[in-house]
Amino acid sequence: MTSFALAWRTAACYRMRSLLAMAGVAIIGALLFDMLLLSRGLVESFADLLNSSGFDVRVVAQEGLPVLRAPIGEAGRLASDLRRLPEVDDVTLVRIEQAVLTGATGETTRVSIIGSTRSSVRSAWTLLKGSDLPDAATPSADPCPLIVGRHLAEARAIAPGATLTIRISATRQPTALPAVACRVLGIGDFAFGNATEFAVATTMSALAAADTMRPGDEADLVLVRSRSQAGGRAAARAIARVRPDLHAYSNEEIVAEFNQNGFAYFRQVSIVLSSVTLVFTFLLVGTLLTVSTNQRLGQIAALRALGIGRLRIAAMLPWESTVLVGAGALLALPLGGLLAWRLDRLLREMPGLPERLHFFVFNSGAVVEHALLLAATAVVAAGYPIWLASRLPIADTLRREVVG
Amino acid sequence: MPAIVEAKSVGRVFPMPAGPVTALSGVSLRVERADYVAITGPSGCGKSTLLHLIGCVDSPSSGAILFEDRDVAALPERERSRIRLTRIGFVFQRFFLLPMLTAAENIELPQAEAGVAAPERRQRTRELLEYVGLADRAGHLPSQLSGGEMQRVAIARALANRPALLVADEPTGELDEETGNHVAGVIDRVHADGTAILVVTHNGALAARASRRLVMKSGRVLP
Repeated sequence: MTSFALAWRTAACYRMRSLLAMAGVAIIGALLFDMLLLSRGLVESFADLLNSSGFDVRVVAQEGLPVLRAPIGEAGRLASDLRRLPEVDDVTLVRIEQAVLTGATGETTRVSIIGSTRSSVRSAWTLLKGSDLPDAATPSADPCPLIVGRHLAEARAIAPGATLTIRISATRQPTALPAVACRVLGIGDFAFGNATEFAVATTMSALAAADTMRPGDEADLVLVRSRSQAGGRAAARAIARVRPDLHAYSNEEIVAEFNQNGFAYFRQVSIVLSSVTLVFTFLLVGTLLTVSTNQRLGQIAALRALGIGRLRIAAMLPWESTVLVGAGALLALPLGGLLAWRLDRLLREMPGLPERLHFFVFNSGAVVEHALLLAATAVVAAGYPIWLASRLPIADTLRREVVG
Repeated sequence: MPAIVEAKSVGRVFPMPAGPVTALSGVSLRVERADYVAITGPSGCGKSTLLHLIGCVDSPSSGAILFEDRDVAALPERERSRIRLTRIGFVFQRFFLLPMLTAAENIELPQAEAGVAAPERRQRTRELLEYVGLADRAGHLPSQLSGGEMQRVAIARALANRPALLVADEPTGELDEETGNHVAGVIDRVHADGTAILVVTHNGALAARASRRLVMKSGRVLP
C-alpha cells in the first residue's frame, strides 16, 4: 500500500475531522482564489476595455493625464499628420463635453456627449437598436445625429427617431450656447458607460456646431490604431517624435501605469489578504495534522518497531495534508467563483465606474497559482508533524503509551 | 545452538530532569532458536526496557546487544529497521493495528514494506489469518473486532515476514482470562512451529507456558 493510499484511508477513517478540515480549507481557499482573481482582474478588465475600442494608442495634450483630457488644437491637421506615419493605420478624433439634454416632454437630463470623426469609434459602443452614426466622410442629412446610451434611453423612454435638444453646458450654470435639435439614430451600449452617468454620442461636426465657445478644430483625445506589424508602442514612439508637444500612450503603457498607480490599492489588498489566507491554511492544516499525529504516536512507534521505514511513515503526512488541502481547494473553486461574482456585483455598484469594468475576472493562471500556493502550504504545514513522526523515540513512546 | 539475540551485560540509564534513572544494570540474556522465554517481575523492574533492547528499538547505555552476532548499537538505523522488519515480530499490549486498514491489510503492510510481491502477500496473509483462526475476518476493520481478535491479528502481522524471534510485551494485558488463554495458545503454536519467543508478562499462566522463565527486580535478572 502506497503512502498516498494510507493517507487517503486515514482521511476516510477520521471522516468528521477530514470533512471539517476540507470545509475550512474550502472557505479559506475560496477567499484566496478571489484575491488572486482580484489581483489581476481589474487590470485585465481595464485592458480589455481599452482594447475593445479597436485603437491601441491614445494621444492627449502634454498638460494632462491619459484620462483627464486637455484640448488639442488643430486636431484635423494633427489627424492628417498622424495618418501619414508608416506605423499608423487609422486615426479618430474624439471630443467630450457635458451637456443638458431636453426631451419632448421638456424634462432635462445632464449627459456626457461624445463627438467623434468615426462612426461608432470601433467598439466604444455597441449598437442595440436603430442605425449608427454616419462616417465623417459621408454627408449626413441630419445636422445632429445621436446615439443614445442604453441607460438613458431606458430612463427617459427614448427610441430611435425621437428628437431631443442638446445644450452644451460644462457647469450647472445657465449658458449662452444655443440649443441644438438632434435626432436619435440608434440606442447603444457604451463601453465606458455606467448606470448613473448618462451618455450620448454624435459626430464631431455636430458637436463642434453645438459648442461655439470652443474652436471647432479642437479634440480632447486622439485615438490611433497602429499597423499590426508596428504595434502600439512603436506607433506611440513615432507620434512622440513628430509631435513632442503631445503625449502618446499605447494601451499597454496605460495599463502598466494604472497597474502601478491607480490599481495598486487593489493589488496590495489582494497580496495582504492572500498572505493571510495562506497563513490561516497553514495554521489550520498544521494544527490538525499535529494533533492527529500526536494522537497516533503509539501507532507510529508500533509501525516503526515493526520495521516500517521512517520515510514511508513520514511520507504519509504530506500526502494526508495534500488530500485535505486538495479536496478543500477543489471545493474552493466553485465557492470562490460564486463569492467573486457576488463581490464583483457589489463593487461595480460604485458610482462612476464603467459598466464593463470588472474587479474579478476568471483566468486559468489564477487557478494554477491557487493550486500551487495551496500545494506548497500543504507541504509546509506537514513539516512539523513530519519532524515529529520521523524523530519519534520508539521505545520511549511505546513505554509512555502503555503507562498512559 | 547459535543465539538469535544475546544481551551482554547491558545497562540502560534514562537521563531525567531530577537525575539519571537506571532501568537496567548488567543484564545478560541469550535467546536461542528453540527458546520460549518469559520475563516477569514487578512494574518498573526493567522488563519492557530489556524487551525494547532485545527488539532493537532502543540502544543500551552499556554492554552490547548482538542480534545474530551483529552488534545492534553499531548498525545504522536503517539496518536496525530492516532487522525489525524481517527478523523480529513485535506484539504489543495495545495491539496498535492501523484503524483504517482491514485485518488483512494490517497483515500485508510489513510484507509490502519488505518488498513481497502482491500475490505472495495475499497468499501469506490468508495463511496467517487461518493460522490465528480469523480467516472469516479478513475484511473487517479493527473497530469491528474484539480485543482477542485484534491481538490475534497483531500476532499474524508480527509473523508476516517469517521472523526468527517474536517479542511480545504484555500480550494478554488488555484481555480477560479466557481470551488471554486463547492468545497464549496461539503463541504456543508459533513457538511450536519454530519461532523463538520472548514475552514480558505479569500473567502467571502465560509465563508458565514458557520453557524458560526469568524474574527481574530493580533492573536486574534474579539468579
